[in-house]
Amino acid sequence: MVIVRSIRRDDLAALMALVGVAGVGLTTLPNNEGLLRGRIEASLASFAGTAEKADEQWVFVMEDIAAARLVGICAIAGAVGLREPWYSYRVGTVVHASRELGIFTRTPTLFLSNDHTGASELCSLFLAPDYRVGRNGALLSKSRFMFMAEFSDRFSRKVIAELRGVSDSAGRSPFWESLGRHFFSMDFAEADYLTGIGKKSFVAELMPKHPLYSSFLSKEAQSVIGETHELTRPARRLLEQEGFRYEGHVDIFDAGPALESNLEDIDAIKKSSPHGVKALSVVAEASSAVMLISNARMSDFRVGLGRCLVTSDGVTLDPDVAKALDVTVGDAVRLVALRPAERAASAAHLAHI
Amino acid sequence: MFFLRPAELTDLPQIEAIAVKSAIGITSLPPDRDRLIDKITNSRYAFADEVDIPGEESYFFVLENAATGEIVGTSGLAAAAGFHDRFYSYRNEIIVHASQELKVSNKIHALHLCHDLTGFSLLTSFYIDPSFADSDLPQLLSRARLLYVAEQRHRFADKLAAENPGVCNAEGRSPFWDAVGRRFFNMDYPQAEQLSGGRSKTFIAELMPQYPIYVPLLPAAAKLAIGQLHPDGELPFSILMDEGFEADTYVDIFDGGPTVEARVETLRTVRLQRRLTLLPNITAAAGETTEAIDAAEAGTAVLSIIANTKSEGFRATIAPAVFGLGADGNHVNFSRETALLIDVDDGDAVRVVALDPDSHHLTGASC
Repeated sequence: MVIVRSIRRDDLAALMALVGVAGVGLTTLPNNEGLLRGRIEASLASFAGTAEKADEQWVFVMEDIAAARLVGICAIAGAVGLREPWYSYRVGTVVHASRELGIFTRTPTLFLSNDHTGASELCSLFLAPDYRVGRNGALLSKSRFMFMAEFSDRFSRKVIAELRGVSDSAGRSPFWESLGRHFFSMDFAEADYLTGIGKKSFVAELMPKHPLYSSFLSKEAQSVIGETHELTRPARRLLEQEGFRYEGHVDIFDAGPALESNLEDIDAIKKSSPHGVKALSVVAEASSAVMLISNARMSDFRVGLGRCLVTSDGVTLDPDVAKALDVTVGDAVRLVALRPAERAASAAHLAHI
Repeated sequence: MFFLRPAELTDLPQIEAIAVKSAIGITSLPPDRDRLIDKITNSRYAFADEVDIPGEESYFFVLENAATGEIVGTSGLAAAAGFHDRFYSYRNEIIVHASQELKVSNKIHALHLCHDLTGFSLLTSFYIDPSFADSDLPQLLSRARLLYVAEQRHRFADKLAAENPGVCNAEGRSPFWDAVGRRFFNMDYPQAEQLSGGRSKTFIAELMPQYPIYVPLLPAAAKLAIGQLHPDGELPFSILMDEGFEADTYVDIFDGGPTVEARVETLRTVRLQRRLTLLPNITAAAGETTEAIDAAEAGTAVLSIIANTKSEGFRATIAPAVFGLGADGNHVNFSRETALLIDVDDGDAVRVVALDPDSHHLTGASC
């Protein structure tokens, strides 16, 4: 069974092995042991409730329990941009019009902004290639919503996720080539790495501050503004299913989209519900949709997939699931159907009880 | 002999012919009869009006061959650039993008749309018949204006500016316009200007990008065009450079040509010109020629730009003159023919500057 759980100090070596294969574009997971150790420590402090608001981040790993292997990672930053400025481009519109000259030109224009300052951020999603099957991707991405639902007071109302922008197999980003490179003579990969090791604001300070008419960029660069890297499209789809939307903010380096939602509008959060564990027994496949099931513990948070039977006096879990989540009869769990389409039904089902 | 004077409506046919010849490049001389009539009419009012402070006046001069009545050149002055509105330019700026942490320091060239030159007086409408390009007449055409400014200081601002045509490629298209203006207009500049129906350039300027333009983002041809002069503009430009105009700060928002500017007092002609009195009683009878100047003075005669001190009756020409005459050294003498040409009598004041001021400092002559 595969679960997502809070990261632990002894996960470092396995984590290093995992990010070694991630490559360029996974900005928040640099291949740098010191920084990864730092992130684990920051995460442990956050789980322990001792981190400052500006530093809070919760890192989770996906573990294949049977294989005793770390196969994925994901994280949430409590509030971005409170230590260093958080930059993004807002894609606005500037109209130049003259009725007399018969001119009406609509130019998408990039405004450097700190609009997302203070937002909670979904970040650092990575799944080992050989585990990109079945429901693993969905579990990894959506596990965070179970944590956010359980501990919603720790998060900002605005939740964002920056998705990787378009680049070719050599890591060449057309947006960077057309814009950033002129201001900062280095490759996108290098700028991306500097960003990952916490120097994004330094890099950003070298970028143009004035609004940019996108018509001054190459056609190729214009065409990737707000577009997602091919490999990141499934992740985008998962977020969009939950209600996230592109609202016109893009990354300043590769123009990848920032998706946004208010926390209470995230479907999985809105429709999840807390229950007590009533009994442990095998649940028939037909009796339940595949559910995201999480325990209610912050420092040993666990999320898995399973079927369960919900009645007015509690929930019946499979013993295997209960074991993986380290819960037993009398403990609290949170439930929501993995697939948004099945949530209305499950809510209706609950209403009948 | 040639002399400069305010344009008259009777000059219209000749001016119209010049406007057609000069075509694109001198936008202040439109090949359009109605607009030229307006231009001449406005100029006549400007020269005639009592002016307290610079306003919407525009002054239009023509260079006439006294023998034939032929007009061989034009020049002009606008009292206040962008009067009633704004005068747009791009200002060259350097933005330093630096990070000590990353050990990077980049100087980024950007063009800022600005109104800095609003209210400056403008030198405009320079045109010389090409067959006279190598003569002294371009000097007269351009610099006599400055003598008018020196005499009529209250009519002009403390600072002057002049637009100069930018480069275009073999097809006659401006690479700067193509990279900047065209993105917002999607048409050639002459077409945009035509559509604006002869209104001020401000009308078009308001449709131009208002945010700074980062030069590194422009195509190479457009970058090269910034501050580059069209070959046709070299002659008037070189005269302005010799006068001490600065060309590094501003460029035209449409074609990227250099817009030069300077304080009136710092200009060479203004610094070196003197207001002198025509020496009475020694000028000979009408018809006397230049050669007839008193032999004792002939050796000290300096080829000069000489202008009277009138407004409506402004006249200026180039002729030999002797400075520093009289007990006070504030008198000048030149031929009767010259005096007639620029309409001055004995005892009248004139503004005089040596044609080649560097070799003939007038102040020295009075010692």
